[in-house]
Amino acid sequence: MRKNRDEIMSRLDAAHPPLGAIEGGLERLSVVPMEHLSPQQTVDRFKEQARLLSSSVYVPASADEAIRLVMDLLGDDNRVMSWAFEHIPLPGLEAAFRTNSIRVVSARDETIRVGITGADAALASTGSLVLLTGEGKPRLASLLPKVHMAIIRQDQILADLETWVATLHEQGLDAFQNTASAMIISGPSRTADIAMQLILGMHGPGELHIIILEPTHL
Amino acid sequence: MKVTSNDFTSTAKLSLMDDEMRRSVKQATTTAYQKRIDLMFEAGHAHGEALRQRAAQAKRRALQRLPDLLDQAEAKLTANGAHVLWASDGEKVNQLVLEIITRHAVTSVVKGKSMVSEEVGLNEALEDHGIEVIETDLGEYILQLADEPPSHIVIPVIHKSLTSIRDLFIEKLNMTPTDDGHEMAQFARRVLREKFLTADMGITGGNFIVSETGSICLVTNEGNGRMVTSLPRVHVALVGIEKMVATLEDFAILTQVLPRSATGQSMPVYTHMYNGPRKAGEPDGPDEMYVILVDNGRSAIFNSGYAQILTCIRCGACMNACPVYQATGGHAYGWVYPGPLGAVLTPLLVGLERARPLPHASSLCGACKQVCPVDIDLPQMLLDLRHDLYHRRAVDPILKWGLKLWAFGNRFPALFEFGGRIARLLTGDRSLKRLPGFLSRWTNYRDFPPFARESFRRQWRERRGD
Repeated sequence: MRKNRDEIMSRLDAAHPPLGAIEGGLERLSVVPMEHLSPQQTVDRFKEQARLLSSSVYVPASADEAIRLVMDLLGDDNRVMSWAFEHIPLPGLEAAFRTNSIRVVSARDETIRVGITGADAALASTGSLVLLTGEGKPRLASLLPKVHMAIIRQDQILADLETWVATLHEQGLDAFQNTASAMIISGPSRTADIAMQLILGMHGPGELHIIILEPTHL
Repeated sequence: MKVTSNDFTSTAKLSLMDDEMRRSVKQATTTAYQKRIDLMFEAGHAHGEALRQRAAQAKRRALQRLPDLLDQAEAKLTANGAHVLWASDGEKVNQLVLEIITRHAVTSVVKGKSMVSEEVGLNEALEDHGIEVIETDLGEYILQLADEPPSHIVIPVIHKSLTSIRDLFIEKLNMTPTDDGHEMAQFARRVLREKFLTADMGITGGNFIVSETGSICLVTNEGNGRMVTSLPRVHVALVGIEKMVATLEDFAILTQVLPRSATGQSMPVYTHMYNGPRKAGEPDGPDEMYVILVDNGRSAIFNSGYAQILTCIRCGACMNACPVYQATGGHAYGWVYPGPLGAVLTPLLVGLERARPLPHASSLCGACKQVCPVDIDLPQMLLDLRHDLYHRRAVDPILKWGLKLWAFGNRFPALFEFGGRIARLLTGDRSLKRLPGFLSRWTNYRDFPPFARESFRRQWRERRGD
């Protein structure tokens, strides 16, 4: 093993930098210019981009309405996959599940139709959600079921991926290093491998519902 | 994978007669090309160009510091509980994977898309040892059923129509006949879901490694990559040593430029970052994570004049833009990487002697450089490879002697002019429909135009009045 490593490294070390002098620096550049957007415009961009990717976006008028919305999306299902309630920013949810006898299942159960998660951030420029792994945050909840429901706070919406990465630096990279995996989700699972036809729900969820809670609702 | 690049001409001829393939390829490449333009230049042309240059900078500067970045990434990954292994060549990759399989008593493997695994023939090596290996990207799965190699690096099954995929599913998997693409996809979903849930090990490639955090980054649309890295006990990532980027900032730009160039998406559906195996207390995720850093010819390129090709992020935009690729499809290129990228990379990785026709499989129109998100000078590299071929005496003798004859004629202008006059006398105003011997290579496909009534040199003398 060592041998292969040393061989490869010595071949690379033996060389001078292969490309000679490189002009130009690594200045910060946003892939989509977002700096001029107001906070409200940033939220609007998130909604617009998420919908372009075939996600459904809801902004309920109150916490009660948010819970009604979740119940509607659940329909007759009485078992769901879910993140732990502490990671979902909708305080009444646990009680509502109890009242309606809805059980949270954690197994790799194929028959569960809906998975519920929060998010660790949302990105306006591309309509994406950032989900980090950790205790009480199963990866499978946003992967195995046909329907993924993400409940987020409006103040979790950042301008773009560049901004999220900057916040990781601000927090010190150690926090990020202690996370096994980060997943940036942009819309429902899709494929175009059959004659370039857009097909949703190839392996992951075919529906992504994003519920945005405004600060006054919490 | 077997290299058949020296058969380029004969395979390309067959491809040109395959109307179904040409229609599929044309449609898919044109769509991807147009969608790329829409998104790369979403914020104007100048901004899109600036993005390309910024992305190129990120990859070039990373390449300059490659040994340091590899060191740093290895240290970070190890600290996070991942095992980092190194493989000089393809045989070593397969050996390492087999060792991991034995160590963890693995009997079935699910795979995400990995071009490195195609390079080293991993599936065959595992199957030889009785391990079931299932490709799970829909395109790659279709190819596995058809026993064909991919013909595009992003859209591997670009050459197949809906009906041929339908027939394949009916023949190999007993699918209830349907012409509905959605039903076919749902059928494949059910078949593969079973495989995900029961597999012991998942193998993926890697699009980038962020060295400051040791994150293995992967982009997928279908979610198969997530299944492969979430459900099985063991995750193995095969990553070329050139995939390093220095910082999360560089990653943030590259991971958005990649899908914009590849398929015209602003982000892939799933952008994964893996720092290590599952942490204590986590409800799911793999118990073990291995990263195999693969050289397989890359360090030799690093030390050659072609190092810039190592900055390629495998978006496939050069294929979508290439008139030769559009006509021949990917299989003619005879190895893992088709199109302009393959025409440069294949000779460098497998040896110029085993891929002699590829540097000539280009009209040098320059579209590949223009669309490249990291501005790789592919046309110049193709010219340099032609130069290398000539100096290694690996060129077609007819081309070689033709060039010598042309050079000879040009050194003796009087002789050149005399030859032209004779040719004019013999052929007059007619264009030539058929020439003998090797010259028929021209007239098989187009007429040779009539020789000029008067040579350029004579006209020059007369018009200038000298």
